[in-house]
Amino acid sequence: MEQKKRLFKNISLVEFKRQRVLIIWSVFFVAYGLVFCYAPLVGWLMAFQNYKPKDGILHSAFIGMTKFKMLFSDATFIRVIRNTLAMGVINLVATFVMAILFAILLNEIRLKGSKKVIQTISYLPHFLSWIIVTGILHDALSGSGIVNELLTKFHLVSQPINFFAHEEYFWPIVAFANVWKETGWNAIIYLAAITAIDPSLYEAAAIDGAGRWNKIKYVTLPGIKPTIIILLIMNIGNVLNAGFEIQYLLGNGLVQQVSQTIDIYVLKWGISQMDYSLGTAAGIFKSAVSIVLILICNTIAKRHGEERLF
Amino acid sequence: MKKKVVSVILATCMLGTVLAGCGKSSGGDSTGSTDSAASGSEESGSSDGSVKEFTAFFAVPGSEINDDNEIQQILAEKTGVKVKETWLTGQTAEEAIGTLIAGGEYPDFVDAGDGSVQMYEAGALVALDDYLDKYPNIKEFFTDQEWDSLRQSDGKIYWIPQFSNIYGEERECTHNDEAFWIQARVLEWAGYPEVKTMDQYFDLIESYYAANPTMEDGTAIIPYTILCDDWRYFCLENAPQFLDGYPNDGSVIVDPNTKKIIDYNTTDTAVKYFKKLNEEYKKGIVDPESFTQTYDEYIAKLSTGRVLGMIDQWWDFSNQTEDAIKSAGLDAQGCQYIPLPITIDESVKNQWHNSGGIVHVSSGLAITTSCKDVEGALQFVNDLLDQENHNLRFWGVEGTDYNVGDDGMFGRTPEMRKIVADTAYKASHLCTYSYFPQWTGTSRDGKNAMKPEGQEAEFYDGLSDSVRKCFEAYGAKTYVEMLGTSPAPGAWYPMYTFSQTMTTSTPGGTAWNLMGECKHQYLPKVVMAEDFDAGWAEYMEAYNACKPEDFLSEMQTELDRRIAEAAKYSN
Amino acid sequence: MEMALTNKKNFNEGGYSAPEEKYKIRKRKASPGDIAFHICNGIFMILFVVITLYPVLNTLAISLNDGTDALRGGIYLIPRKFSLKNYATVLQKDNLMIGAVVTVARTLIGTALALITNAILAFIVSRKNFIFAKQLSLFWVITMYVNGGMIPIFLLYKGLGLTNSFAVYVIPGMVSAFNMLVIRTYMRGIPDSLEESAQLDGAGYTTIFLHIISPLCKPVYATVALFVAVGQWNSWFDAMLYNRMSDNLTTLQYELMKLLSSVTNQSSSVEAMKNSSGSVTPMSVRAAATIITMLPIICIYPFLQQYFVSGLTLGGVKE
Repeated sequence: MEQKKRLFKNISLVEFKRQRVLIIWSVFFVAYGLVFCYAPLVGWLMAFQNYKPKDGILHSAFIGMTKFKMLFSDATFIRVIRNTLAMGVINLVATFVMAILFAILLNEIRLKGSKKVIQTISYLPHFLSWIIVTGILHDALSGSGIVNELLTKFHLVSQPINFFAHEEYFWPIVAFANVWKETGWNAIIYLAAITAIDPSLYEAAAIDGAGRWNKIKYVTLPGIKPTIIILLIMNIGNVLNAGFEIQYLLGNGLVQQVSQTIDIYVLKWGISQMDYSLGTAAGIFKSAVSIVLILICNTIAKRHGEERLF
Repeated sequence: MKKKVVSVILATCMLGTVLAGCGKSSGGDSTGSTDSAASGSEESGSSDGSVKEFTAFFAVPGSEINDDNEIQQILAEKTGVKVKETWLTGQTAEEAIGTLIAGGEYPDFVDAGDGSVQMYEAGALVALDDYLDKYPNIKEFFTDQEWDSLRQSDGKIYWIPQFSNIYGEERECTHNDEAFWIQARVLEWAGYPEVKTMDQYFDLIESYYAANPTMEDGTAIIPYTILCDDWRYFCLENAPQFLDGYPNDGSVIVDPNTKKIIDYNTTDTAVKYFKKLNEEYKKGIVDPESFTQTYDEYIAKLSTGRVLGMIDQWWDFSNQTEDAIKSAGLDAQGCQYIPLPITIDESVKNQWHNSGGIVHVSSGLAITTSCKDVEGALQFVNDLLDQENHNLRFWGVEGTDYNVGDDGMFGRTPEMRKIVADTAYKASHLCTYSYFPQWTGTSRDGKNAMKPEGQEAEFYDGLSDSVRKCFEAYGAKTYVEMLGTSPAPGAWYPMYTFSQTMTTSTPGGTAWNLMGECKHQYLPKVVMAEDFDAGWAEYMEAYNACKPEDFLSEMQTELDRRIAEAAKYSN
Repeated sequence: MEMALTNKKNFNEGGYSAPEEKYKIRKRKASPGDIAFHICNGIFMILFVVITLYPVLNTLAISLNDGTDALRGGIYLIPRKFSLKNYATVLQKDNLMIGAVVTVARTLIGTALALITNAILAFIVSRKNFIFAKQLSLFWVITMYVNGGMIPIFLLYKGLGLTNSFAVYVIPGMVSAFNMLVIRTYMRGIPDSLEESAQLDGAGYTTIFLHIISPLCKPVYATVALFVAVGQWNSWFDAMLYNRMSDNLTTLQYELMKLLSSVTNQSSSVEAMKNSSGSVTPMSVRAAATIITMLPIICIYPFLQQYFVSGLTLGGVKE
C-alpha cells in the first residue's frame, strides 16, 4: 500500500486512468501466479519436517534445520554440488556459445533453400530422447566406435581409449551431448531476434566497406545483444539444474565421483529411501542459489546499462 | 470503445477460466470420484447388470493390455469382474505411492511395492484377516506359517505376495537364476569336460580363445565380459557367495550351522575371485569395456555370439539374446549359453539352484480402503486361482493358444509359440492378471504344469540342437539338471527380502547404501588394478569406512528373528 | 515508413532507409575475405548437418529394422533386416487414437492460450511507464526458480478440481516466465516512438497491443508458439500424474510411454519371461515411436519457419 501511494504521486491521474487496463490485467496475472506458482511453495515446509505420507504436510513432525544440516555435513553432497556446478557451467558456456554461433553463421548462408533445410535438420535431435542420444554416443565412443577408429587411423593413439572409464572425459562428453542435442533448438530464439534487425544497417555497413566479419561484429551481434543477455542471465540461474538423465545414462561406477549430480543424489538418498523431505531441502537450496545468482547478474547488467530481467 | 470491449471480454474470459477451476473444486470431489478409481466398483457393475469393474495400480513397470482384451472378457463373463490395471510409468515407486497417499484416493487393488509399509501406515489398506476363511483358494495359497509371516505391526495381514508359490510338485526346466554361463560350442570343442571350479572355467575359456580368436565371420571374440551397469552389477559382485557353496541370500551369507551372518565381500574366496578376474583382465580375457558398457551394449555383444562366458541371471539376458542368436542362425554354431556348477574348489557343493518357492513378504496384492466392495474383490482373487481360470490366464484358450493331447497333456505348436510371444497379440488376446496371485508347479490335474514354462515336453521341443546335444552329453534334460538342485535353505531364506527394505533411517540401512556405492566404484578398479594387492587394500579401507558392521548386525538381528519365528511352527 | 528494430542504438546509428535498398547488397562484388568466409561457413554447416542428422537417420534405420536383429548392433544408416513390425506394433496400441486427438486438442488450445497470455503479460511489463512493470517482472522471474514439489502441486490441482480433467493440460502451464521474457525482450526493441505517436492519436493500450505491437512481434510469437506447441505435443507426465484413470484424457506420448514400458517389461521381467519375446524390442519400438512423434513437427515447422528465416516480414507502420 505504501508503495502504491507514493507511485500515485509520481504519475498523473490521467496516466493512471490510462493504465487502468494494464492494472486490471496485472491483477489477473498476479492472482494466477499466486495460485499456480506460489501456493505450492507451502510444500517447502516439508524440508523442515520429517515428512511422512500418512501425516501429510499438516501433521508431520517439525525437525527444524536437521535435513539441511544432514545435507551439508555429507561430503557426498558437497561433491555433487561441485559436479552439478561444474557441469552446469561447462554446459552453459558450450551450448550458449554454439547456439549463437550457429544462428549467426546460418544467417550468413545465402541460399534460401539450404538455409531452411539446415535449420530444420539442426533442431531435429531435440526430439530424440536422452536414452537414444546416449546410446549413439556410447556406440561412437566405444573401443570399436568411429572415434577410436579415426584416432587409431591417424595414429593419434596406439590403443583405443575407453572414454567412459576416465573421470576427466566425463564432463566434456556431457557438454558435447548437450551441444549436439540442443544447439539447433536453442538457436531458434536468436534466429527470431536476427529477423528484427533492420536490413538497412547491413547496407550502411557495406557502404562503409565492412566485410562479413565486421557486419557480424557491428550489426548482427549488437542487434541480438538484448536477447543474449536475457537468456544468459536466465541460464545462469539454472546452472544447478545440470540434469539427471544424461549423467545417469552415461555414468558408471568408475566415474561416479564426477558424474553424480544433485538430482541423482536426491533420488538415491532421498526419494528411494522414502525420505521426501531431503529432496525438498535440496530444492530450496537450489532455488536460493539461483535467485542469488540472478540478482547478482541482474545488478551487473543494470550497472552496464544492458537489458535485464527486472 | 471497441478495443475496450475486446480487452474486457478477454479479461473476463481469463478470470472465468480461473474461477471455473476454483468453482469446480467444491463439486470436484463428487465428479472426481465418479471417474476415478475409487468408485468404479460400486455402480458401473450393477447398472449394466453383469460385470463389476475394479481398478488396480501396481507400483512396478508392467505390460498394459487392451480394453477389449479377449481373455479378460472371458474371465469377466465367468467371474463377473473386470479389473483395469495401471502400471508405474516414468516415476519411481516411492514417488507414485507418495502422491497416491497424499491424494487420499486409491484404486481398489494395489501393489505398492517398496511403498507397501507406507500404505499400511497411512491406513490405506484393508486388513484381510476376517475375510480369508471365506475364500478357500486364497486361504490355500499359503500355510499358516506363511500367512503369519505377513503380519504387520498391528498383527494383521494386509497383502498377498503373488509369486513363486508352488502347487504340488515343483516344475522347473529353466534355471532362471544366476550362474557362470558358457557357450555350448566351447564345451563341445573341449569334448564336454567336467567344469567344476572357477580355475577350470577360466582355463577352458582361455584355451578355447587361444585356438579360436575369431568367429566364423572374422569378428573378434570376447572371452569373458562382466555386466556392471547400475543395479545389474550383481554380475560382478555377488559371485563369492555361490563360489563358497551358499545359496542366493543376496546381501550376505548365512552359515546354516552356526546361524551366523557372514559378509561375502571380505571372505578369502572373494579375494581369490577378484584376484582371478584381475589376472584374467591383465591377460586380455576379461572384456576391457566391462565396467563402462551399458546394458544395451552388453545385450548386443551377447546377441552377436561373440562372448564366450559371463556371470548373469538367466532372466537378465536370455529373453533378448536367445531370440537374437536364433534369428541370426548362431544357435547352429553353438552360441547359446549353458550354466555350469562352478565353485571355488571341487570339494564345495554348489547351490546355484535351489528348490522351493520364496515368499516375498515385503509387498503383495492389497485391497484399499477406497474399495467399496471388498468381498467382491476378494471373490475375484479367489476365482482367479480356480484351475480353469488359472489355465486361461497362463495357457490361454484351448485350441487357440494350446492343444490338449490324448494323454491330457497341454502343448503348443511352433506357430502357437510364435504368436503368443507377439507383443500386439499379448495386448489384444492374453490376460494373465500378472500381479494377481498365481501358482507355479503342477496343475490340480496332476499332470500339466501351472504355467507353460514348467511343461517339460514344451521346453524340450523348444530347444535348439546344439543345446540338446550338450545336455545329452552331460546326461541332463534341463538347465536345472546341469546344475543339480539343492534343497530349499532354512526358514530365513532369502535374506535379501530384508535388505531390500532397508532405508537410511537406520545405521544399517545407511551402511548398506554406502557399501553399494563403494563397491560400485572400487570393484572395477580392483579388477583393473596394476597391483592387485594394493588395489584390494585400498578397496578394503574404503569399504570398512562404510561401517559394514552396522549392516551386518542388523542382518543378524533379522536372521535371529526369522529363526525364532520359524521355531514356533517346528512342532 | 519506419522499421522496427531490436535495439535502439542500431536504430540511431543506422538511421532510416527504405526497405527496397537492402537488395543492393547482393549486387556488390564479394571480397576475397568474404569468399573465404563463405567457404569456411559452408564447410562448418555441412559438418554440422552431418553430425546432427546422423542420430535421426540412425533412429530411422533402427525403426525400420527387425527388432531382434537390431539387438546385435552395427546398424548405422540403412536397415539390415527390413521390417515394418515396429510401426505396426506402435500403431496397434490401444487408445492411440484417443491419445492423438487429445494431444492435438491440447496442443492447439494450450498454444493459443499460452501465446495470448504470455503476449499480454509481456506487453504489460514492457511498457516503460507502467507503474508496476518492475515488480510484476520480478514476481514472474522468481517463479522460474522455485518449485513446491510434486506432492503439493498434486494436492493443489486436486483441490482446484483439475485432476481428471482436460483443463490440467492447458491451465497450469499457461503463463511461463521464460516465454514471457523472450517476448518482452523483443517488444522492448520496438521503438517507443511508435507507441507515443499512437497515443497522440488517442489509442489506448488495447489498441497499441493489438494493432501496433503484435503485428511487429510475429517472429517472436512464432518462436514462443513453437516452444509451447512442442512442449504440449511431447508431454505425458501430467497425463500420467493427474489423469491416470481417465482413459479418454490420455495423450499420445503417454500411450507410447506405456507401450514402451510394456515391451521392456515383456523382454526383461521375471514374471513375463521364459517365452521368446517376439521380434520387437524396447530399442526398436522406441525408435519407431520417436519417428512417429517427430513427423508432425517436421511437417508443421516450415509453416512457422517463414516467420523467422526470411528476415523480411516486418511490416511497416504508418506514421
